[in-house]
Amino acid sequence: LALALSRPRGEDNIISEEEAAQYDRQIRLWGLDAQKRLRGSRVLLVGLRGLGAEVAKNLILAGVKGLTLLDHEQVTEESRRAQFLIPVDADGQNQAQASLERAQLLNPMVEVKVDTDAVESKPDDFFFQFDAVCLTRCSKDLMVRVDQLCASRNIKVFCGDVYGYHGYMFSDLGQEHHYVEEKPKVVKGSNEANDGPEAKKGKVDPNETTMVKKTISFCSLKEALEVDWTNEKAKSSLKRTPADYFLLQVLLKFRTDKGRDPQPDSFAEDSQLFLQIRDDVLETMGLSSELLPNTFVSYCFSEMAPVCAVVGGVLGQELVKALSQRDAPHRNFFFFDGLKGSGVVDYFGSK
Amino acid sequence: MALADSLFSCRVLVVGAGGIGCELLKNLVLTGFKNIEVIDLDTIDVSNLNRQFLFQKKHVGKSKAQVAKESVLRFCPSANITAYHDSIMNPDYNMEFFRNFQLVMNALDNRAARNHVNRMCLAADIPLIESGTAGYLGQVTVIKKGQTECYECQPKPTQKTFPGCTIRNTPSEPIHCIVWAKYLFNQLFGEEDADREVSPDTADPEAAWNPADAAARATASDQDGDIKRVSTKEWARSTGYDPVKLFNKLFKDDIMYLLTMDKLWKKRKAPLPLDWTEIQQIESSQEESCGMGLKDQQVLGVQGYTQLFRRSVETLRSQLIEKGEGAELVWDKDDPSAMDFVSAAANLRMNVFSMNMKSRFDVKSMAGNIIPAIATTNAVIAGLIVLEALKILNSDFDQCRTIFLNKQPNPRKKLLVPCALDRPNSNCYVCASKPEVTVKLNVHKTIVQALQDKILKEKFGMVAPDVQIEDGKGTILISSEEGETEANNNKFLSGFGIRNGSRLQADDFLQDYTLLVNVIHSEELEKDVEFEVVGDAPDKAPAPSAPEEGKNIANGNKDSAQPSTSSKAAAEDDDVLIIDSDEEPSSSTMEASPESSNRKRKHHDADDAASKRKRLDQQPSDDDEDIIALD
Repeated sequence: LALALSRPRGEDNIISEEEAAQYDRQIRLWGLDAQKRLRGSRVLLVGLRGLGAEVAKNLILAGVKGLTLLDHEQVTEESRRAQFLIPVDADGQNQAQASLERAQLLNPMVEVKVDTDAVESKPDDFFFQFDAVCLTRCSKDLMVRVDQLCASRNIKVFCGDVYGYHGYMFSDLGQEHHYVEEKPKVVKGSNEANDGPEAKKGKVDPNETTMVKKTISFCSLKEALEVDWTNEKAKSSLKRTPADYFLLQVLLKFRTDKGRDPQPDSFAEDSQLFLQIRDDVLETMGLSSELLPNTFVSYCFSEMAPVCAVVGGVLGQELVKALSQRDAPHRNFFFFDGLKGSGVVDYFGSK
Repeated sequence: MALADSLFSCRVLVVGAGGIGCELLKNLVLTGFKNIEVIDLDTIDVSNLNRQFLFQKKHVGKSKAQVAKESVLRFCPSANITAYHDSIMNPDYNMEFFRNFQLVMNALDNRAARNHVNRMCLAADIPLIESGTAGYLGQVTVIKKGQTECYECQPKPTQKTFPGCTIRNTPSEPIHCIVWAKYLFNQLFGEEDADREVSPDTADPEAAWNPADAAARATASDQDGDIKRVSTKEWARSTGYDPVKLFNKLFKDDIMYLLTMDKLWKKRKAPLPLDWTEIQQIESSQEESCGMGLKDQQVLGVQGYTQLFRRSVETLRSQLIEKGEGAELVWDKDDPSAMDFVSAAANLRMNVFSMNMKSRFDVKSMAGNIIPAIATTNAVIAGLIVLEALKILNSDFDQCRTIFLNKQPNPRKKLLVPCALDRPNSNCYVCASKPEVTVKLNVHKTIVQALQDKILKEKFGMVAPDVQIEDGKGTILISSEEGETEANNNKFLSGFGIRNGSRLQADDFLQDYTLLVNVIHSEELEKDVEFEVVGDAPDKAPAPSAPEEGKNIANGNKDSAQPSTSSKAAAEDDDVLIIDSDEEPSSSTMEASPESSNRKRKHHDADDAASKRKRLDQQPSDDDEDIIALD
C-alpha cells in the first residue's frame, strides 16, 4: 500500500537564510520538511476574540504561507480587552481589520489577510482555497456545514471555543490523513562504520532515527456530536467520558438559541437558561442531568485569557501537525478544564 | 469580586522575558494584573523570533525585558510595568526587594538562577510558581515555604560530564568528539584550561598493562627533561598556527601515539590516522548544495571538513592577530568561524574513530546545547502559570497543582496531567530548618578556591558564600567580600586544620541561607572526582514523583538530554522535574549587559570551573514512584 504524503506545496522548495535563522529552533524540533509544508499552507481562521488571537499568533509564528482572518463583528471595549492584537483606539472598527497590523508584524514572511464578511454568508467554494480551516465562535450548524464540505476535499477542519474556565478543540482531518513519525532506528550489529566502534546487535541507536509513515481516519463533526448514548455500550463508557463533552453540547445549544454565549452582564438570566438547556439536552440524549452538576454554570462565562492561551496553544499545534503531516494528531477532541488543570483527548463518533 | 481587587492591587515579579516570559506577560495583563515587574539579563536574538512574540526583527540586540515591557504597554497602556535589564542574582535584588511582591513567577532556562530564586522566595516567604519547557514538553509547579517541596528538595541529575581519557583517548560517540573540539578551540584560541587537555592522556589507567607503568608514565609527563611539556597554544604559536601542521599533529601524529597504547585497542576498533597530503589527492566527490535543504544540514566528506578546518583556522588566526598580544577568543556558537572550527575538528575526529560524521547543524545543536523550542508549548505553560497564580491570590492554595504537558495523551487520555504537590523534604539541604550535608573529599588535595567554586557555588547553589570553620575559634576560611580571603584560595584545606570530621558553616547572606558542611576525608575518590556528597548523591536519590508516563520530563527526555559541552555557561542541563533550555550564551549577550555585568560576569567565570564528577547514570526507573495524578 503506497502511502502518499502530499508533495510539499509552495512555489519553491528553497528555504532562505532569513527563514533558516528565524525558524531555527523549530526546524530543530520538527524538521525541514515539515517547515516547508507549513510554508506552503493557507489557513482560514474564523473569529478573532481571545481564542482566535492566540491561534493567529501561533500559526503566524509557525510560518504558514497565508492566514486569512475572518470576522464580521466590531471591536467593543470587552472584545478589545480580550486579546492583544487590537490597538486601544480601535473601538468600532471591524475586529479582523483591527487585528491585522499587529498580526502581520508577528512575522512579515506570512501573508496575513482580512475578510470582514459573516462566515454564514460565504459560498461553498470560498473555503476551497484553503488547506485548513479553523472555526471559533461559530454556530453548530455552520460548523457542521463547513466540516462536511471541507473534509471531502482533504481540507483539514478544526473547531474550538473557550467558555470561562472551560475550552475545547475538535478536529476532522478526513478519512485518510497521512503523516510521519520519527522513531529511533534499530541498528543491527555489523562491521560497518556506525555511530560508535562498539556496535551491538539490534541496539537502538540514539543518534539515528527513521521516519515511519502512518494513516489515520477521522469522523465528521456531525457524527461526533450525534453519538447515541442510549445503547448499552455507550452507557457503559459514560464513566470514562469527560463531562466537558456534554458541557459543549449545552453551550452550543445556548449559542444557537440565544445567538450569543453566556454573558456576565446577564449572569442570573443566562445561568437559569443554561440550566434549562442542560436539562433539555441531556434528556434528549437519554441521560441524567447529574452528568453536569449545577456548579458548572458559574465557570462558563466569558473567555478567560489563560484558558485561551492553553486551548489556543493546543489547537495551534494541532494545525501545525496537520499541515506539516508530522506526528500523530490528537483524535478527535481536546477538552481543557481550567479549574482542575486537566487536559483530555478523547474520541467521539463512529470508530 | 475580591479576586478582581487583588488582581488590581497585587504586585508580581516575572523572572525572565524569553519564551515563557513573553507569553506570561501577555496573559497576566489580559487577565487583569496591573503591577508587574520583569527582569532579564539577555538581549534579543533572531532565533528568538519564532516564539518570543513581543519582539520583532528590528529589536534584535536590545534588552528583552525592556522591549517586552514596551510591547505589552501597546495593547495595555494602563498596565504598570517595570523592566530590569539585569541578572536576578545581582545582590541589589535582596530579600527586601522580593518582599515587595505577593507572587514570583519564574520563566527561566537555567538551574543556577532557579536555585537562587528558590532560596530568595523561601527567605522572603513568597509563593513561587516554577515552570519549564523543552520542545513539546512542559511543566508548571507551585512552591510555598513550609507547605510544598522547594525547588531543591529533590536532587536533580547533574550535568553529564565525560572522563578525561574518554575525551582524549577513547571517544566512542560523536559527543565526545564535539567536547574534544571545544576544548581544542580553547586550548588554541581561547583560555587554556589544565583540566581540559586535548592531547593523548598517557596516564590513562586503561592503557597500562601493569599499574606501575601508568604511574610511571604519569610522572614522566609532568617532569621536565625527556618529555618537555609544551602547552598546545605555545606549540601552535611556534608553527604560526599553520593549519597543515595542526592537522597532522591532531589527526595523524597524536593518533599514531594513541595506537602505541595498544591495550586500549584490544577490544575497541583502533583509530585510523589521517594524512593531509593523501586527502588533498582524493577527488572531491562532494555534491554541490542544490538549495533544497539547509546548507548546514549537509554532511560533508573528509575532504570537505579538511577544507573547513583549514579555512576556520586561518580566520581564527587572523582574529587573534587583530586582537593583539595575549588575546583570547571566547567560544560562541553563533560565531561562524568558531562554529566552523568545532564542526570541522569534531568531524575529523569522528572520522578517525570510525563514527558517522555529522552535519554542522547537528554539531551546533550538541556543541551549543540548543534545545528546540516553539511558541505553542510556551503558550500552554504560560496559561497554566496564570491559572495557578489566580488560585494563590484567591487563597485556594489547596487547589494548586504540578501540571505536566505531554506530547501525546497518556493511557488515561490525559495530555495535561495535574498532580498533587508534595510536602517539603525534611532532609532538604535548602529548606530544612537546619540544613546540613556531608561531603567527602581529600583535605590534602582540595584547595579553598575549589571548595568555594565547585562545591559551595556550583553544587550547592550559593552565589556569595562566607565560610567559617567550627573550630572553637570561628576561623574565617572564605569571605564574600572581594579580596579579604584571596590569600587563602590556593591553600589546601588541611592547612587550616581541616580534617576528617571537621565542620564548616557556609552562609550566603543574600539568600539568607546557612548550610552546615560535615567534612569526611578520603584518599580513595575515583579518578576525575574531586568530591562526593554523601547520602544525598543523585544516583542514589529516589526518582522524583512523576506522572505515570514519566518518560518525557520526569526521567529526562533522552532526545534532549544533551550533556553540556559548555565551559562557561551556568549549570544548564536537563532537569528531571523542570526542563532547562539554557543555551550557551553568545558573547554578545554578556557585552550588552549593564553596569552590574561585573557581578554577572563573575558568576559566569565561577561556573567556568565545572566540578569533575563521575558520569552519572541518567536513568532512574520509571515505575517506582507512587503517582498521585488527580482526576
